Amino acid sequence: MIFRKLYLFLFFCICQSALAQYDSIHNLKVVEISDLQLKDYSDSQSVLKLTDSIINKNQSSLTSLLNYNSVIYFKENGLGMVSSPSFRGTTAQQTAVVWNGININSQLNGQTDFNTITTRDFNSIAVRAGGGSSIYGSSAIGGSIHLNNTISFEEHFSNTLRLNYGSFNTYGGNYKIDASDGKFSVQVSLSRNSSDNDYDYVDADGKNLNGQYYNTSLNAAIGYKINDANFLKLYSQVFEGERHFSLIFPSEIRTKYQDLNTRNLLEWDSFFGQFVSKVKFAALSEKYKYFGNINSNAYTFGQVRTYIGKYDLAFDAGNAIKLNAVVDFTQNKGEGSDIKNEQRNIGSASLLFKHKLTQKILYELSVRKEFTNNYKSPFLFSLGTKWAASDFYTLKLNGSKNFRVPTFNDLYWQPGGNENLKPESSYQAEIGNEFRFAGFQLTLTGYYIDIKDMLRWIPNGSVWSPQNTDKVRTYGGEALLTWSKNFGNHHLLLNGTYAYTVSEDMEKKKQLIYVPYHKATSSLSYSWKKLAVDYQCLYNGEVFTRSDNNSRYNIDAYFVSNASVSYDFGKKNSRIVGFQVLNLLNENYASVESRFLPGRNFNMYLTLNF
Amino acid sequence: MLFAGSLFLASCSSDDNSPNVSLGQYDNGVFVVNEGNSTITTSSITFISNSGAVEQDVFRNVNPGAAELGTYLQPMFFDNTRAFIISGSANKITVVNRYTFEYIATISTNLQNPRFGAVANGKAYVTNAADWMTGTDDYLTVINLSDYSTSTKTLGVWSERIIEENNKLYITNGYAYGDATSVTVFNPATNNVEATIQLGFNPNSFEEEDGILYVLGSEKLAKINLATNMVVGTPITVAASTSAGAKNLNVEDNKIYYTVDTAVYAMALNATVAPSAPLLTYESQSEYGRMYGFAVNDGKIYIADGGDFSSDSKAYIYSTTGSLLSTITVGVGPNSFYFN
Repeated sequence: MIFRKLYLFLFFCICQSALAQYDSIHNLKVVEISDLQLKDYSDSQSVLKLTDSIINKNQSSLTSLLNYNSVIYFKENGLGMVSSPSFRGTTAQQTAVVWNGININSQLNGQTDFNTITTRDFNSIAVRAGGGSSIYGSSAIGGSIHLNNTISFEEHFSNTLRLNYGSFNTYGGNYKIDASDGKFSVQVSLSRNSSDNDYDYVDADGKNLNGQYYNTSLNAAIGYKINDANFLKLYSQVFEGERHFSLIFPSEIRTKYQDLNTRNLLEWDSFFGQFVSKVKFAALSEKYKYFGNINSNAYTFGQVRTYIGKYDLAFDAGNAIKLNAVVDFTQNKGEGSDIKNEQRNIGSASLLFKHKLTQKILYELSVRKEFTNNYKSPFLFSLGTKWAASDFYTLKLNGSKNFRVPTFNDLYWQPGGNENLKPESSYQAEIGNEFRFAGFQLTLTGYYIDIKDMLRWIPNGSVWSPQNTDKVRTYGGEALLTWSKNFGNHHLLLNGTYAYTVSEDMEKKKQLIYVPYHKATSSLSYSWKKLAVDYQCLYNGEVFTRSDNNSRYNIDAYFVSNASVSYDFGKKNSRIVGFQVLNLLNENYASVESRFLPGRNFNMYLTLNF
Repeated sequence: MLFAGSLFLASCSSDDNSPNVSLGQYDNGVFVVNEGNSTITTSSITFISNSGAVEQDVFRNVNPGAAELGTYLQPMFFDNTRAFIISGSANKITVVNRYTFEYIATISTNLQNPRFGAVANGKAYVTNAADWMTGTDDYLTVINLSDYSTSTKTLGVWSERIIEENNKLYITNGYAYGDATSVTVFNPATNNVEATIQLGFNPNSFEEEDGILYVLGSEKLAKINLATNMVVGTPITVAASTSAGAKNLNVEDNKIYYTVDTAVYAMALNATVAPSAPLLTYESQSEYGRMYGFAVNDGKIYIADGGDFSSDSKAYIYSTTGSLLSTITVGVGPNSFYFN
């Protein structure tokens, strides 16, 4: 604490007197995004960026956006219910979700429920495949998802209102204001979604019962330019939602679940000479309440409050070398009806280095070590290289060591929590090939991940307790394709992804359950003047539901597609009216056994810019 | 034990006073209830006939169009003609013909986390845990077996296993998370609790033989004289507090059988000291499912191993002298055996 205060004071003094080596325009560019490492230290890995035009064409849940536009496989317990990702055959706890540079996976169960993130609150969402623990800490094994807000100080003012209404009484609304006068920049987004979610099953009698949900979220990104070299930023998010959990049998007891998550990040960016110094303070909280019977007020709950202090110093030595040092201190305070009230303190230090050897070759190295009493952190690292051989071909290579820490539930659940757990750790390597020709961009990546000490809850006497027991090996390939073409006023954009994943339990030598061998997505967008037509589709291969891979019980493969049409009636400002058909072919499908998803249904939306 | 009389009837031309006629395809054999997990397809019933033939997924084979049984199947109970299959999480009971396994009806009213059932005087009585956190709301569902209508009767104490004897119902008041240490005597004629017999330990299984109710807890075995509702003598210590705990009490052929971890112990009905050595032990890779199902019947010992609860597991049949007779693949999480 003292060290950081001293550093702060020192730099404050320096920045007051130093002349900016880079001009203020460069500073404005850097200040836009909080997560600088995503842009600067991801050259040797594959990063898929989803801009807000793609975000607006998809449904508002993060599950839906990533399911149709990335290689990540999702299993959902029904539409809108608990959703878990599997990225490169890894578990839900092995994918990190990073909000404006801060890892927001739950401290209680180690994962993020992708149906608790409203995509419209963000300006861009990026999917960074492969290891990232050396930068983002725990859980970045299969990959990481980055939710980013852009703070722009260019003078502008815009309001956007988007309303949608669809089948099953589904309402959605998003209002966004984005303005700057050069000194202040304010972006606030307010979203609300709700649905009765009582869809009929496609091939069976009955409907989705007790599936209603609502959520409200507020996301703000505010910047204040103190002067050309100093900026103050505040990012803030609140998400509140309630979901009733869908039933399989009408006679089951009805339950419901409430989430309340808040995230706040205060950041001071200052530029002096070749340095960019960032001081960040974050306060996060997560709370859930589970009502085992909706007719009763009794509930179980868990909550964690997290405080983070982070100092990030980046140094740019000309065009060739970039250096970045980050130190942070995190305190988690957890309490709940089923866990011991505990506090966890973690300190960490990271060092990142990137060197451009020539115009075409660069290599990057990052290392991280965490210091805490709660677990012994391994030495994490990532080493990668990128060779831009020609305009046509780029080669990327990366090897890393990553980890996933035991959660509050793993350590402190009463009864059964095990305070002697080690983190899960993984060694992984990947090779990526990028091809560019005509309007095409094709990325082919092969990877290998070796995970040990995987946490699994097993019985210990009469009580269940987590142990570091499993070894898992995953390997596979991913393909990402983009093609765009313009003919006069006609614009075409084609996207496709494909993943082949083998993920095996090393003891049983069997594919893990709920990991498909094949997953493919594709989308085609066509626009002509004010008209836009979009089509997206998803293919998920069969998954095993039995640990002995007895294929009699596999969940069938499914192919789902959505189509939409929109027209912009506006002259100066957009006035877009759109109509979507979801599950166009009325496919009967489920990603979790017996948790059927809706058949053909409709949605219309109105987007006004003013 | 009945044998497959139908086969003999066909071959014997003038033998028409054979008493042993098969009542259906599922007569003369044993049912194994596979509890399953949260995935619907994992809950099933396996049938092992006395001739050794095994049929998996009996309910779905006989009733392909019927509604699913539910998940987390509890041990079944029977009356003379019917079998009642309880789904703990779907809060329903599926009624089938016990010999043909044809679907008859579904009961889904007034059930909340149903546990076990027994039939007395034309009614079925099912214990319900209701809210897992407390025992005060545990209740009995009383089912009219002619029209399957239901009513409830609050018991007010943790209630688990239930058996019928001499027109009275006996219920163990003990559960893994509960602190009850008694057996409740319920009179179905008056629809009231008649007595609560204190044991001093959590009971997990019991069986009646000749007017004595033998009750087993993790460490102790008690005998209750049902004429007086009093514990006879002092309970016998059968397992150490450091052990995995005793469970699966079965009384058969004047012997008491119980299991501790993967070992089976046998002692005489009137023994006063527990045996020091087991009758047999079996090999198990299961972490949670050791001796998950157990029964002794007609000179044979039946053991079901829970396995990993996410793939098909095994049942083992031993003789009462401890030699392995056969190993049979059954379904996911087999938890109990029932004999026709």
